[in-house]
Amino acid sequence: MKRPSFHIIRPLLLTGARSSSRWFSYIGLGIGVLLLLLAQQLYIDIQALVKQTSIRKNGFDYISITKQITNENMGRDNRFSPADLDSLRQQSFIQGAAPLTSNRFEVVATAGDQIPFASDIFLEALDNEFIDTVPPGFDWQPGQATVPLIFSSDFLEMYNVFAPSYGLPQLSMETASNVVIGLRCEGQKGGATFRAQIVAFSDRINSLLAPKEFLDWANLEFEGLPSANASRVYLKTTDANNPDLLQHLTQKSYRVNKEKTAFGRSKQILQGVIAGLGIFGVLVVALALLLFSFYLQLMVARSRDNLQLLLTIGYRPDWLSKQVARRFIPVYLAVVFAALAATQLMQYGFHQFVMYNRPELSSWLHPSVWVTAIVLTGLSIFTNMRMVRKLLYGLS
Amino acid sequence: MLLLPQLRNRGCGFFISLSMLHIDRIRPSYFEESACAHSEVWLQRVNVEPGERIQIQAPSGSGKTSLTHFLYGMRREYVGSIQFDSVELKQINPDQLADLRREKLSVVFQDLRLFLEPTLRENFEIKRQLTDFHPATCIEEWAKRLGIDHRLDTPARLCSYGEQQRASIIRGLLQPFKWILLDEPFSHLDDANARKAMDLILEESEKQGAAILLADLEIVPHYPQTRLLRL
Repeated sequence: MKRPSFHIIRPLLLTGARSSSRWFSYIGLGIGVLLLLLAQQLYIDIQALVKQTSIRKNGFDYISITKQITNENMGRDNRFSPADLDSLRQQSFIQGAAPLTSNRFEVVATAGDQIPFASDIFLEALDNEFIDTVPPGFDWQPGQATVPLIFSSDFLEMYNVFAPSYGLPQLSMETASNVVIGLRCEGQKGGATFRAQIVAFSDRINSLLAPKEFLDWANLEFEGLPSANASRVYLKTTDANNPDLLQHLTQKSYRVNKEKTAFGRSKQILQGVIAGLGIFGVLVVALALLLFSFYLQLMVARSRDNLQLLLTIGYRPDWLSKQVARRFIPVYLAVVFAALAATQLMQYGFHQFVMYNRPELSSWLHPSVWVTAIVLTGLSIFTNMRMVRKLLYGLS
Repeated sequence: MLLLPQLRNRGCGFFISLSMLHIDRIRPSYFEESACAHSEVWLQRVNVEPGERIQIQAPSGSGKTSLTHFLYGMRREYVGSIQFDSVELKQINPDQLADLRREKLSVVFQDLRLFLEPTLRENFEIKRQLTDFHPATCIEEWAKRLGIDHRLDTPARLCSYGEQQRASIIRGLLQPFKWILLDEPFSHLDDANARKAMDLILEESEKQGAAILLADLEIVPHYPQTRLLRL
């Protein structure tokens, strides 16, 4: 078929349909797409920001408890006995309990020649399952010269606060991970020096964690004693705010580290709000698409006589539907592109001016946001083209 | 594609190619068989040869417009078969039907069916640009012959029925065709204007080697028919 000029038939397709309804639908679509993309990007940003501070792992909350120290029990052994642990594990609202065992020998850490630092330290160990950031290779076997350590990020922050006063350099997480630490272990039965390296940082556990195998071996080797009862126990539970759990712990006079729990809940609420924003965005997009499809139907209905006559005199419904589609596709693309550009601008501003010191964030949109924008555009163009085709073929 | 390769006609030239229309025992599905007993079209086999000039004469209510609509593929409430070049009309899809109307089959409707807001010239261009078969100069030439050249830039809705009917005839001719269906094409025209219009139709049909099927209430005196069929 020869391609007739669309210019000449264009006025025939615009009879009556108000362009204001078309522009309302475009604006609605733009706002909806912006909300949707923004919510998705924010969700990804929040995931990146709180990844290291999550107390949840595999759908469980992990909280630490200690025995309440009072004037009455101050002189007694306030550690958790195996019976205490068994009792905790038997509760239906507790899915696991692991003691935080500590060293019974002396440990002195040095930071090598570059940083003139030496200090008595303590080491603790916990089942890997209870640690939030367990890198591969966090284990130890007798004969191994290097001991991997997981360091509390709070401790690093504390170090960075006092380091300048002592003439010590402040350390980023990356630099701290590269420092080779000398670990001098000394007990009644002997001693040895190991190299140690920080392999991960934990936001949940305020301690210096060594592999459990190392601590059990070293306690026996240097002190001749098995690991002692723990002062701190980590609990695995589906809900750290379960009233039964809290009541049980109060009854037993156990103290809970609530701060981390509260943080976990805040994160959940924040994610919920962002997800809500996303759902709202989806609804706005759906409404805008509906409005636009009504506009197209109205346009076809009002131009019905003209369209029918065009088909009667030999215009192909296939060609006509393409012409109608060509009128809205560029505007559609422009609207989605504008929303995408606005989202990019906001993400750039968010990273550059609000979260400027967070390398875990990016100034650029996550690829999945682009994918969403492309899928959304493709889907809406496809559905609208199909609808126009159906309407026109219905007329012929 | 359903149709023969398109032939160009720059400067109102001509070509001939053989095409056949077979009307095989058709009857409106809303007509009783008994009502078609004396018809020479309904329930009959009619073969239309290239270049034939058929007059279908029918009183009001006998299905003249229905027949035009059936042949033009606008309505399908009939039994029987209509074949253009051995292709069954009921079997083709909307795009193929558009191809047929654009390249081979033309029509002048009794109810004119012009776009009312556009001017007559725009009405002609909308049709002409579909195939570009005739040059744009044909519009001026034919409008002058039929006496509506002064109305070319007037919206169709402001033209009289007579002017609209002449415009409808010109639009029907602004394409390649092997068959042209005329449904009471001169009902709003005086004898002199009807004669001019008839001459233009005959001239263009002859150039294209097309068959004419003219349906009217009475026998049209200035139509040199080759066959008369009573509906």
